[in-house]
Amino acid sequence: MSLSEKSDEEISKLLAEYGIKHGPIVDSTRKLYERKLEVAMENAPVEPSSDKTYYREEAEEITYITYSPVRQESDVLKRRGNIEPDEDEESDQETEAPVQIANRTANHSAVRSRELDRKSGGSVWKVIRLLLLAVLAAALYYAYCRVLKNEENPFNIQ
Amino acid sequence: MSTTTQKHRDFVGEPMGDKRVTALSGIGEILGEKLRQQGFDKAYVVLGQFLLLKKDPEMFTEWLKDASGANSRQAGVCTQCLREWCDAFL
Repeated sequence: MSLSEKSDEEISKLLAEYGIKHGPIVDSTRKLYERKLEVAMENAPVEPSSDKTYYREEAEEITYITYSPVRQESDVLKRRGNIEPDEDEESDQETEAPVQIANRTANHSAVRSRELDRKSGGSVWKVIRLLLLAVLAAALYYAYCRVLKNEENPFNIQ
Repeated sequence: MSTTTQKHRDFVGEPMGDKRVTALSGIGEILGEKLRQQGFDKAYVVLGQFLLLKKDPEMFTEWLKDASGANSRQAGVCTQCLREWCDAFL
């Protein structure tokens, strides 16, 4: 497992993986490269972050799309938070609550549609699908409006 | 490193031949002895290590500090010395 047990070739491969320029791995250079690798490994672990795998496992259109506006919004809030730390708490509550509700409704309808799909035929499913899309669009639009409003308001006040 | 010592000029001015490791600028008797104990008795052996590290000054400096206990200035001077020698004779 540890670097000192790996073969020269494995060390060489690892160095290439981490983008470290290197010469031949021989007795006189090996220790140096091992240390360099250790530092590189600590700074940039190869494993992808758990955040990414979470989205991949979900792999569902609905969750992905409804989550993204929330994320953007929180980013906006963070950015704004840097400029106006005083207003941050209030606006945080105002904006996040409705979006979460929109989120829930979207997810509920998704579940419902799946249940109905199992019971009845394709025509009903099509209608449900359309409805779902409409709900989704509404939720997105609502979130978008919220973001716009929140961007405008603080500047208007000041 | 804008000013160079006489030792530096002497080393960079001609092929290193069989010069001892202490002929390298930045390497005095104490550091030279430590290098000698590890088999680096001639300047060309140290040059070999410099070349193995693909003339990477950062890596070589790190190695020299590690192997001989040189400080940053000594290691930097020695690296510069070898680099200029390579530019002239390699």
